[in-house]
Amino acid sequence: MTDATKEAVIRIEGLTRKYEMGNSTVHALRGVDLSVEAGEFVALMGASGSGKSTLLHLLGCLDRPNEGTYWLEGVEVSSLSRDELADVRSKRIGFVFQNFNLLPRFSALENIALPLLYRNGQIDGDEQQVRALDALSRVGLADRAGHQPTELSGGERQRVAIARALVTQPAVILADEPTGNLDSKTGEEIMHLLDELHEEGRTIVMVTHDPNIARHASRICSMNDGVLQDGGSQHVVA
Amino acid sequence: MSLLDLLRTALRSVAANKLRAALTMLGVVIGVASVIAMLALGNGARAAVAATFESLGANQIQIGQRFAMEDSEFQGVGEKLTYTDGLEIADTIPLVERVEMSASKTFKARFGKNTVDVNAIGTTRDALEGIASSGEIQPVGWKDNASLTAEDFIGEGRIFTADEVYAGSLVCVLGYQTALDLFSGDNPIGETIWIDRERCTVIGVLAELESTDVQERYRSDPNEGMLMPISAMIQNLYDEEPSVYMVAHVTDADRIDDAKEQITNLLRERHHVEQDEEGNYKDDFDMLTRKDILGQQQEAATTFSLLLAAMATVSLMVGGIGIMNVMLVSVTERTREIGVRLAVGAKQRDIVSQFMLEAVLISASGGVVGIVLGILTIPLAAALNQGVALLLPGSIPLAFGVALLIGFAFGLYPALRASRLDPIEALRYE
Repeated sequence: MTDATKEAVIRIEGLTRKYEMGNSTVHALRGVDLSVEAGEFVALMGASGSGKSTLLHLLGCLDRPNEGTYWLEGVEVSSLSRDELADVRSKRIGFVFQNFNLLPRFSALENIALPLLYRNGQIDGDEQQVRALDALSRVGLADRAGHQPTELSGGERQRVAIARALVTQPAVILADEPTGNLDSKTGEEIMHLLDELHEEGRTIVMVTHDPNIARHASRICSMNDGVLQDGGSQHVVA
Repeated sequence: MSLLDLLRTALRSVAANKLRAALTMLGVVIGVASVIAMLALGNGARAAVAATFESLGANQIQIGQRFAMEDSEFQGVGEKLTYTDGLEIADTIPLVERVEMSASKTFKARFGKNTVDVNAIGTTRDALEGIASSGEIQPVGWKDNASLTAEDFIGEGRIFTADEVYAGSLVCVLGYQTALDLFSGDNPIGETIWIDRERCTVIGVLAELESTDVQERYRSDPNEGMLMPISAMIQNLYDEEPSVYMVAHVTDADRIDDAKEQITNLLRERHHVEQDEEGNYKDDFDMLTRKDILGQQQEAATTFSLLLAAMATVSLMVGGIGIMNVMLVSVTERTREIGVRLAVGAKQRDIVSQFMLEAVLISASGGVVGIVLGILTIPLAAALNQGVALLLPGSIPLAFGVALLIGFAFGLYPALRASRLDPIEALRYE
């Protein structure tokens, strides 16, 4: 970006999401505004049911808001079709899940290359291999390329999942309780990796309920009952 | 996702559940095998009808005594169809040009010290024309493309004349092998042989013959036997008058049904066939024209084909539903996988293609096995259908196409269901 007034990677305004549950309506998000600048590491905190996961899903283009607008790298994505959203996910978003969500019976390398398969053949097989191996090296598991998820430890699986999120060079990495299924020591290692990625300039938005984990972020946004507290501008002084 | 990647992914999923895939294929296997057998029977029946057209001329009516099961034995009904009946038909019905007749019996033939059991066929003079036009037998080494005449069947000498038949002369024409057996290579023409207790002059020897159907060659030898005038045979060699087999030649093929009716009336009168209470005649003879044979054969083939078609339909349906069921189970089992694929950017059509391809892969494999199985069962199907079954090369792609179609048709719903999963729900699925 040449312009000093750099465009926010994520900008949402008045985002509302409600679900019909039988006769009642659940308001998961009640008009959320948030802006995430490039290179920021944002932690979304809140109790379960606070709407933080719903917000993450909307940010990840897995879902569409009922109201409000979402600009991802300046492009409005809140009114895209299902397939257009899929396209956005494959190019601009990297997911890291609590339960890793690696495909069983697929090697670490194949799992990492998976997002590249859905690029409509723009990236050929050799290039996919190179990029996947690159991403795997970045998380320090180059020697585990041929291992299947069952042959990896929890921490290693999450590293592979992070590599999968990195492989498309996305605009933002969205992590949903990335240490939730790991012991505290391994969790710290994963957080260390995310810290490194942050230092390299990557934009990360992470959902967590653990203050010790949230502390790694450059900014913590607390959610409560579908509303972002303090306008989402509580900066961490580490 | 590129086609190659899709194929690789689908292959992997199928290979991960080999037993399940194999069991799922069964319905398609049986269905496709039935399709192959059905097509083979249909084609076989068509070919058989075509062959019948050649063996029985359009202007010919076969007439024989009626046979029926009586006391668990196949027995002739009513009066025999006699030589005199045949002469009467030829004489009194103007529509009938001539009547070929034949009867056969095994006798002992002797010349000098040589004695053989020989099957003698008593015929009218035009027997060889009948054989020539049937196309079932040909002189050894005969070229397929050249048409046969009665003359081509005679090796030496001649066939009996109309006068000799009329007069009942004891003359005979020997089969090639029978002539060798009796005369050990000497010229038999003009010699007199003994048939049972009658003397008979040899006037000719047939050429060495073979069946045109290669398989038939192992079953019977057309070179053993002899021909003689049916009149002479009936007068001299039978204790009681035999039932004869006739082929009436009609002057005008278009009026064959009229001729049939006239022959029927004549035979009913001669055999004193009476009507029962309901006005039906209890005929003791059967007549057959090209139309009848065609009808019978088509009926048999149609019945059997219908049976196979029903079986094919049922097993293909069951096979298809089996595939659908397994694919639905697979979609449920792999909900999380679908969620992950959607999350990393798979479009709906990627998911549809992946699961469709899996279903088609299963049905196509079933199709290949079914085609092999179908080809192997053709002899069995043929045995159940009077030996008529013929596999045309075009049937194989057709059967394979049916298998593919089943995969597409029954794989569509599970695939659509997979693609419509909500990515968030799918990722949460335990």
